[in-house]
Amino acid sequence: MSEVLNLPVAADSQWKRRFVQPLLRQRSAMVGLAIIAVYVFAAVFAPWLATHDPTAQDLMASLQGPSAAHWLGTDSYGQDLYSRLLYGAQLALIIGFASVALGLAVGVAIGLTAGLMGGRTEWVLMRIVDGLLAFPELILAMAFMAVLGLGTENVVYALALSFVGPFARMTRGDVLQVKNQPYIEAARLMGVSTAAIVWRHVLPNVVSPILVQAGMRVSIAILLESGLSFLGIGVVPPTPDWGLMIAEGRAFITMAPWISGVPGVALAILLVALNLLGDGLRDAFDPNTRKDA
Amino acid sequence: MQEPIFSLLDVERTYQLRGRGWRNRTPRRLKALDGVRLDLQRGDTLALVGESGSGKSTLIRLMLGLEPASDGRVLYGQRDLAQLDAAEKKRFAREVAFIYQNARGSMNPRMRIADILAEPIRLHRLCAESAISQRVVALLERVGLPAGLLQRFPGELSGGQIRRVAIARALAAEPQVIMADESVAGLDVSVQAQVLNLLRDLCRESGITLVFITHDLGVASYLCEKIAVLYLGRIVEQGPTDAILDTPRHPYTRALLQAFPRFDMPLKASLSGEIPSPVDLPKGCRFAGRCPQVQAACRETDPALTALEAGRQVACLFPMAAA
Repeated sequence: MSEVLNLPVAADSQWKRRFVQPLLRQRSAMVGLAIIAVYVFAAVFAPWLATHDPTAQDLMASLQGPSAAHWLGTDSYGQDLYSRLLYGAQLALIIGFASVALGLAVGVAIGLTAGLMGGRTEWVLMRIVDGLLAFPELILAMAFMAVLGLGTENVVYALALSFVGPFARMTRGDVLQVKNQPYIEAARLMGVSTAAIVWRHVLPNVVSPILVQAGMRVSIAILLESGLSFLGIGVVPPTPDWGLMIAEGRAFITMAPWISGVPGVALAILLVALNLLGDGLRDAFDPNTRKDA
Repeated sequence: MQEPIFSLLDVERTYQLRGRGWRNRTPRRLKALDGVRLDLQRGDTLALVGESGSGKSTLIRLMLGLEPASDGRVLYGQRDLAQLDAAEKKRFAREVAFIYQNARGSMNPRMRIADILAEPIRLHRLCAESAISQRVVALLERVGLPAGLLQRFPGELSGGQIRRVAIARALAAEPQVIMADESVAGLDVSVQAQVLNLLRDLCRESGITLVFITHDLGVASYLCEKIAVLYLGRIVEQGPTDAILDTPRHPYTRALLQAFPRFDMPLKASLSGEIPSPVDLPKGCRFAGRCPQVQAACRETDPALTALEAGRQVACLFPMAAA
């Protein structure tokens, strides 16, 4: 290790050494990443890869098994499952990443404020967070969907809300720890302004466990979103959504098991891949579980 | 005589301790510093010496304005540290640098050495943006480190390197006063010598005022022209280094000197017992409990710091004779 360190390395290869190499060493994370890449590819190029309009109904061709015309068969409305699967990947990934990003932004802001301000502000903010954390994620999201009404955007908001609590609590914990480090005091002593201290010294030192957590939350978000849609309080039919597709196929599970089976398998594989990647990220970057540090 | 750069006027620092248990809520007070009076001239090099718990670190934190004085005043130049306005605070931050005992901990582990050294320069706008990298290299060179370290992170440097980076950072803002807390403790003897030589050269060349905390009298005598010996939050003896080391007048100073290992004499534990708790200070002289030549009067009267000869002060009722 030390021979490598003594070489005068350029800045970009330093970046590689710190971020890319530890991740490359996680074999299972790479498998997960490859699978996710396939999904992202399918989602991005869905308009070109799809053979049919995902919402075009053809009642004459309903409940058909896989064939040359419909590669993965059709559902009870005669919609092409293969095309719906591709557009469903698009929706799942968008909702997954958007809700986590929104929840992370709000949660980190609350956690930072609480951790840095302390006192009464912290007390109030953390009691609100406790309130959010008191409900299981699915229940909280359901309650919000009931208030907001159906729709893709509302699913994102509801899921984001259910993620605010965990992110806020985690950020606050890390900020409290970092806040008392000597380098924060040293920076203050040098006359660095509070904003610069937060931006340059606090944030970079709390960000990696948060990002790891975010990676793991994406799979939870996709699962919750499918759950909401399955329960009929998520996106509006006939939007091509996996949860919705599974729910539609439920009535025909003995006659046409592919209707529920195709999106179900797709969802399961994506979740496994995301979890593999999330675990790999955690092992590579989270200081608490790092082995070779 | 020029005006002092730092003056401490009977500075006290007490911490409130809550009583144990829910019935005994009467707060107890811990006196970390008890009436410290100290003048620091421009260009002075002062060593603060004492055992653990004698208040050395508290004293330096007060002088840095990190903690308020409970009583008394800390003056920087003519101004009270507690009453600096924003512009004066900024000036103070530039002119007074602190080198932490834990050098690695005092640097953001996510920043490269180059950014760590550039931060104070950029902050105080000491030179143009384009000249910063040049200055950073010059700083590293001054502390004897190769420019190859610039892209490293603090965690990748050795103990001696990181302390020299800490010194380089302290120098980056072109300070007039440097305070250092145990900056060589726990280092290899060879590395320790490098760091000490570096600090000594800096003080001689740039006329920097240095306040150096140490429990090692050898280090103190090498680096500093003056010594202040602290015991339980009070200065018990201060004066020029040579005079104090040759003829200690306070029994505590002599005990410290005897505890210093030497080749030609057997080492005996000269001080028995621990430093007493600063919560319940004994009446009379605070050193009476451990003093080898304690007398009845010592347990009654608390001795004040009094001048013995030019530039030398001792807080002892029966100072030892100048041999």
